[in-house]
Amino acid sequence: MLYRLSTALVAVALVASCTKKKELEYGLNPAETLTVNLNTEPPTLDWSKATDTTSSHVMNNIMEGLVAYDVTTPDLQLRPALATAWEPSEKASVWTFTLRENVTWTDGQPFTAQHVVDGWERLLNPATASAYSYFLYDIKNAKDYNQGKLKDFSKVGVSINDKGQVVVTLDKSKSYFPYLLTHASTYPVRKDVIETHGDRWTEPENIVTLGPFQLKIWEHDKSLVLTRNDNYYGTKPKIKNVLAYMITEKSTAINLFDSKVIDAQDDLPTTELKFLRERPEYKSKNLLGTYYYGMNVKKAPMDNVLVRKAVSHAIDRQQITDLLAGGQIPATSFVPPGMFGYEKGLGIQPDIKKANELLDQAGYKDRSKFPKLILGFNTNEDHQRVAENIQAQLKTNLGIQVELQNQEWKVYLKTVRTDAPHMYRMGWIADYPDPDNFLSLMTSYSENNYTNWGNEEFDTLVESGRSVLDKEKRREIYRRAQQILTQVEAPVVPIYNYVSFYLVSERVKNYPVNQMQRRVYSNVEIKK
Amino acid sequence: MNRTKTIYYIVLAVSILATMFMNFMAFQVPTALWALDGLLVVGGFVGYIYSQNLGVYVIKRFGEAILVLFVIATLTFLLLRVLPGGPFDQEKALPPEVKANIEAKYKLNEPLYMQYYYYVSGLAQGDLGESYKYLGRPVTEIVMETLPTSLQLGFYALVVAFIIGIPAGVFAAARHNTWMDNTTMIFAISGVSLPSFLVAAVFVLLFSFGLDLLPAAQWRGPEYYLMPVVILGIRPAAYIARLTRSSVLEVIGSDYIRTAKSKGLSERTVLFKHVLKNSLIPVLTFSGPLVAGVLSGSFIIEQIFAVPGMGKHLIQSVTNRDYPLIMAMTLLFSAMLVVANLIVDLLYSFFDPRIRLS
Repeated sequence: MLYRLSTALVAVALVASCTKKKELEYGLNPAETLTVNLNTEPPTLDWSKATDTTSSHVMNNIMEGLVAYDVTTPDLQLRPALATAWEPSEKASVWTFTLRENVTWTDGQPFTAQHVVDGWERLLNPATASAYSYFLYDIKNAKDYNQGKLKDFSKVGVSINDKGQVVVTLDKSKSYFPYLLTHASTYPVRKDVIETHGDRWTEPENIVTLGPFQLKIWEHDKSLVLTRNDNYYGTKPKIKNVLAYMITEKSTAINLFDSKVIDAQDDLPTTELKFLRERPEYKSKNLLGTYYYGMNVKKAPMDNVLVRKAVSHAIDRQQITDLLAGGQIPATSFVPPGMFGYEKGLGIQPDIKKANELLDQAGYKDRSKFPKLILGFNTNEDHQRVAENIQAQLKTNLGIQVELQNQEWKVYLKTVRTDAPHMYRMGWIADYPDPDNFLSLMTSYSENNYTNWGNEEFDTLVESGRSVLDKEKRREIYRRAQQILTQVEAPVVPIYNYVSFYLVSERVKNYPVNQMQRRVYSNVEIKK
Repeated sequence: MNRTKTIYYIVLAVSILATMFMNFMAFQVPTALWALDGLLVVGGFVGYIYSQNLGVYVIKRFGEAILVLFVIATLTFLLLRVLPGGPFDQEKALPPEVKANIEAKYKLNEPLYMQYYYYVSGLAQGDLGESYKYLGRPVTEIVMETLPTSLQLGFYALVVAFIIGIPAGVFAAARHNTWMDNTTMIFAISGVSLPSFLVAAVFVLLFSFGLDLLPAAQWRGPEYYLMPVVILGIRPAAYIARLTRSSVLEVIGSDYIRTAKSKGLSERTVLFKHVLKNSLIPVLTFSGPLVAGVLSGSFIIEQIFAVPGMGKHLIQSVTNRDYPLIMAMTLLFSAMLVVANLIVDLLYSFFDPRIRLS
């Protein structure tokens, strides 16, 4: 019985291997199809509601905003997309966007300024319950509308003038405003389509878009297919299709990469980086993001600035990045390199001697009197490795005891938001490439600041940085703000700047690798 | 009577085997065939219940099952609210006014008893709500799209488990204390104790990269099914083998078997006619939870082989605090467990007529 069964199984396997399919699923031609892995099912393709990176990944291929970044410039300058030009008023409180003409949606309807206004109305409408509605809070009355205090959208500072331009009136002058419009949540929408199909408007048979690709197939939890949008106004993509799988397990994805089933894998298992880095298909790029530890300044001894500085001085970031081995960059400043406002050398540099002097000054000459610090992080192998390293460094370098405390992600979020431990791990990846996106995190009124630290001068600097148009003046403001944050007051210890790593098959040319992890496949070519 | 019964069994077996084979070989199985299978199985079961006079018993058990499910739903609902961290807590904290809009949309701002009321009244109408993570998707749709794959994987794994496990157990018992018995049991113990991710890794290395026979992952046809099915089936197969072996050994020692042997019946007849049927009772008991567990999808196997099944939602819905999806998963799993146990209970009297349910 067993024998027969096993022979039968082997026979099936042999037959199967002989008929191994060479063509791709859905009858796609491999020579004109890029196969990638999204890692998970996109939670939604409704750009007014999506908040995650997987959804953005797909949305950015099928849709566009008024402006986009030029990923070829070092500090990601803006380039025209659906808007051809944008002009601030003298004080940058009114912005006028001139829209591109002769642009059509995938269903052949012309793109108009009303679609932009509709998109913003939908984002701000309380009934939409969009998590990113606050992106447009800079617009006059937008917050009131989002809170339901104001019912009439025409009172919100968005209008279309008689030249067909979109005119945006802000509550105050904001120099970074156009950058917000690179974010998917601000993309135009077609209200007629959404009204007709309800929540199902994002399904392939209903969705209409403006980007270089369009959504053709979406088999939930399995795969989706994008095809070239022949109505696209710009340079049409060189490949015809993108086949995207949703494979959650990274090592499985690498197996499929090795079996030539997928052409690229974006998320690599960090514990295997040491080996993966040696492969010719390996690519990496620094990301606009910072991994840091915050300190709860309401909890003694972290209420003492000398202690905070001592801890920051005592941590050698290089050791940590060596440990992670993925090319991460040791960080002392909060704003990441590659972003406007970054300056080398800002922040507290590793210096063990100085660290010990500061701790002595703080009144802890006798180290045994120093209370045990609690260091919190969310359960994850990498965070564990970093935390253990910091624990060891603080013990060796300063002679102080640290207790590690890990919690499941959502439990951890609750802990840091209600009663953060002495030190807690956090990270931030830019929503848009402007220092305001980083520094406003640490204002005294920010929901993302769990340190309980607040500084009036810092708040004022961040506030004024938003309205200044002159680049040099702005740079000066952010330099001072960062000095307060990472040198003078030191409620945060930046650890390193993130890096993204990929495996890309050698048959793929021009795979998009950039510091905002924008993976738009328009320029990709498949080598013959 | 006996003849019609035999014909029924043959028709049932042939039709189900044909469907299974076609499904496994990734043929488009005609709906009519599925319907016929369903009709035969359900019809047969109803007939069986009727012939054993178990109608009232089944109705009573169903009543109990609904009560159990209701209690489970209530407990899960309450436990989720106690669990720290909410569905919309994410790395980037939301301004309070934005959070308020979201909570209003999902009625999370209302008092707990109102939320419970909405939930129960939705449940009564068969509406389990929309996912909080996969925005705009009803959780029933998520289940309907992923469950069939898990059922498929689980079903084949069960077939593997039973057709390897039971014969191996009987074989080992019949050759009790010989090297054949020991070898079988070594395999069984390894099958139970080796973690499936390790077995999977070794299999992938061997069959996909070493021998280049089978694809490393995905769920696209028979050659893709083989590895996950076999690996998922190994552990239950090993359990069943051990269970069958000890049960067979126990039955072999009993008086009526001695009588059968002394009547001069051949060893084969005794083993298959008298021993086997009775010794399957413990295996049957074990099968209830096993079937429910395997059919609802294995998180690990589905992850490793990128099978688009329900297993990941079982785990990730909790990580995401996706309340409606967690509730759906819990209810579905409980329902499967309750039904599987009911079927097992009903089958007891088939294997051992001395057992009477009432």
